[in-house]
Amino acid sequence: MSATKFEISKGAEGIFVKNSRFKTTLVSFNFYLPIKKETAAQNALLPFVLTSCGKNYPDFRKLNFKLSKLYGAQLSASAEKVGDYQVLKMSVSVIGDKYTLDGEVLTSEAVELLKSLVFEPKAENDEFCFEDVEREKRKAIEHIKGEFSEKRIYSKGRLIEEMYKDEPYGVPKCGTVEDVEKIDGKMLYKAWKNMLSSAFIRVNVVGDAVPIGLFDSISQMLSTIDRTDITDITKTALTNSADKVNCIKEHSAVNQGKLVMGFSAEPYGEESNNANLLVTTDIFGGGPYSKLFSNVREKMSLCYYCSARSIKIKGLVTVESGIEAKNAEKAQKAILDQLENLKNGNLTDEEYNSSILGITDSINSYNDSSEALEAWYATRFSDDSFVSPEKFTEKVKAVTKEDIIKTAKGIKLHTVFLLLPEEK
Amino acid sequence: MKREIFESPINESYVKAVCSSGVTVYVCEKPQYKSTYAIFGTKYGSIDNCFSVNGGEKQKVPDGIAHYLEHKLFESEDGDAFSRFAKTGASANAFTSFDRTCYLFSCSDKVYENLEILLDFVRHPYFTEETVRKEQGIIGQEIRMYDDSPSWRVTFNMLENMYHNHPVKIDIAGTTESIAKINADLLYDCYNTFYNPKNMFICIVGNVDTEKVLSMCEKTVTGNGDTEITRIFEDEPQTVVKNYVEQKLSVSNPMFCLGFKQNISSPLRRLKSKVCVALLLEIICGECSPLYERLIKEGLINDEFSFEYFNGFDYACPMFEGESENPKAVADAIKAEIKNLRENGIDKKLFSAVKCGMYGDAIRRFNSVSEICMQLTEGAVYDFDIFEEIKLLKTVTCDDVYKRLDVFDDELSVLSVINPLE
Repeated sequence: MSATKFEISKGAEGIFVKNSRFKTTLVSFNFYLPIKKETAAQNALLPFVLTSCGKNYPDFRKLNFKLSKLYGAQLSASAEKVGDYQVLKMSVSVIGDKYTLDGEVLTSEAVELLKSLVFEPKAENDEFCFEDVEREKRKAIEHIKGEFSEKRIYSKGRLIEEMYKDEPYGVPKCGTVEDVEKIDGKMLYKAWKNMLSSAFIRVNVVGDAVPIGLFDSISQMLSTIDRTDITDITKTALTNSADKVNCIKEHSAVNQGKLVMGFSAEPYGEESNNANLLVTTDIFGGGPYSKLFSNVREKMSLCYYCSARSIKIKGLVTVESGIEAKNAEKAQKAILDQLENLKNGNLTDEEYNSSILGITDSINSYNDSSEALEAWYATRFSDDSFVSPEKFTEKVKAVTKEDIIKTAKGIKLHTVFLLLPEEK
Repeated sequence: MKREIFESPINESYVKAVCSSGVTVYVCEKPQYKSTYAIFGTKYGSIDNCFSVNGGEKQKVPDGIAHYLEHKLFESEDGDAFSRFAKTGASANAFTSFDRTCYLFSCSDKVYENLEILLDFVRHPYFTEETVRKEQGIIGQEIRMYDDSPSWRVTFNMLENMYHNHPVKIDIAGTTESIAKINADLLYDCYNTFYNPKNMFICIVGNVDTEKVLSMCEKTVTGNGDTEITRIFEDEPQTVVKNYVEQKLSVSNPMFCLGFKQNISSPLRRLKSKVCVALLLEIICGECSPLYERLIKEGLINDEFSFEYFNGFDYACPMFEGESENPKAVADAIKAEIKNLRENGIDKKLFSAVKCGMYGDAIRRFNSVSEICMQLTEGAVYDFDIFEEIKLLKTVTCDDVYKRLDVFDDELSVLSVINPLE
């Protein structure tokens, strides 16, 4: 499903993915800002405060009532870290007017609602309302603290924190509890102003048509804002390889241990938008045909799960596994052995074909989900990466065995994080 | 082949057909879509630990055996099912829940090849004492992973204290002790009982041709006799074990699960009751309700808060879950709101907003091949038409919903809490 790009104004673009198969239209506002320790928490709080109420919907119950009357229009907020940036997303998804019972007009109203929440917040004297800010702060703090409860998320978070100490990528995507506590209405209002003036903006539409006048109206609103200094979203730094592997061990009252490993990955290939790292990581630890699944889990029974993922933009590969404490060393060695295997060219036709087929099949299905399509286009950061999912599958098919082996050679262990049960 | 066509006002339809083997097949064509999602399932889950076949003797099997069988079925003499799907590019998986075991694939190419693999591996069990023993390590790891998961524990602690005897209280994967008793003979016994076509269903949604799917199912899935299975449950007292249960785990925020045991006179709920209770839950504490607003403002719940009408064969309980500094205060507030609704009735405006929202949600689900397939699966297990909900939501009245307040009885409530370690 190819997308059309519209220039809204400087540093702001509209992306329209025409797709008539859905019963809904999805519109999202994405604001891209550099992630920094000092501003991460306030930026991350913004989408949540903005979508909880607004000038025209002063309390969240009235807003929720309105959304229900719009046939359960889904208003969502998120703050994600993509490369060295924070992506603040606010979106609405609404069913088509033709499905209403009494001929109500839903799409345009839902889009107006979203626009008004983003651009007309509930604020007085350059300050957000105390009650709204405090409510969302409490929820944010509970959310950040809650990550500790799910040890898989916690362990991955700790790995990234240790691996990128003093670097932007090491900043947690929603900031720290201490930073959230410091936020007040004035500070958040300033963050909102900053978001409007300096963020790179992408407005994505997935559906049958672009709601009439949407991009023009945004362009008009942005024209009243001084947008001279806009975030350049192409400056994510790659991961440096480590001189010495950093190993961190923690103990907690758990039954199952977690072994998480972080690797630096040198980019390989002439064309920057290639799929080399994606395929290499998939063969290493992606699908059930991967080396980690079929050997470390199935043959050696060393962990219930053991999988690898890569983040190309950051030159990062991670491996996550759930292990028994007594097997920690064995599992770590087995995982590294599999990587060594790949580096040594130990790559069967079966592994190679399975991976290419598996990745292609799964990327092709993105077209059947409006959320997947939206996320796909929200994370294309450079012009040459701005291709449709189908188009990208051609890059996947172009990856050769040689590319994989060379890419694997550039993957080096950087940091190990081990969470173990308390010693008795 | 006996077949029925189901139509809807939202431009969707599907076919339900019963093959000569007895297996029921549901096909929903989505020609605009690239992908397909398919499930081959059996009405056999963790609650089926005691049963009789063709009116014979009662058989008791170890807890967790349905789930164990799910793991083993992926293997065959010449490699596992994963490696067969690896050749087509499909992504395959399986899950066991309280009342069903499902094997599935999703793909955007080679759909009939994938269907052939699915239909084949589920019908050809292959395991030996050795391969069965080997699985104990991996399943043991899985059990330990769930033991560490506070969101899993909080629900099961609630169920364990709600039910005296009903097997819904048992962990789906069983325990390290119970799975140690599982051997190849037992697995074959259970397989032959529950994986007979009459007890099974196939649901497929996406870019497929109905006739082709039906003829494949008719040809490949062959019968293995007329097995009548009777689930045997011990009598369940109309009380709960304990109203309050607490466990300490490595968490930062306390978590809770509040359930209300519903006294039921027959094993199954009608779809209309399910829809009415779902609406009622929204009215009690959905995002439009006064109670939700108050709980958020008082700092008692956060975005983790959720609720559902948990129900299946011979069990039913509305359930509320979330994180809270003060779970008891949340539980009291929910009970007080139920009392308030009983005494003062339901706000008509709130009812109409909630109904409208739920109608939209029901339509939205038809965006996704996997969601439609999951709904068909639910329809297959509990024998209803998946378009019925949309029709019911048009006609259901505030009074219908008010009447369902009878599912709540404070005496039969259980509050389960996970507290942080000191």
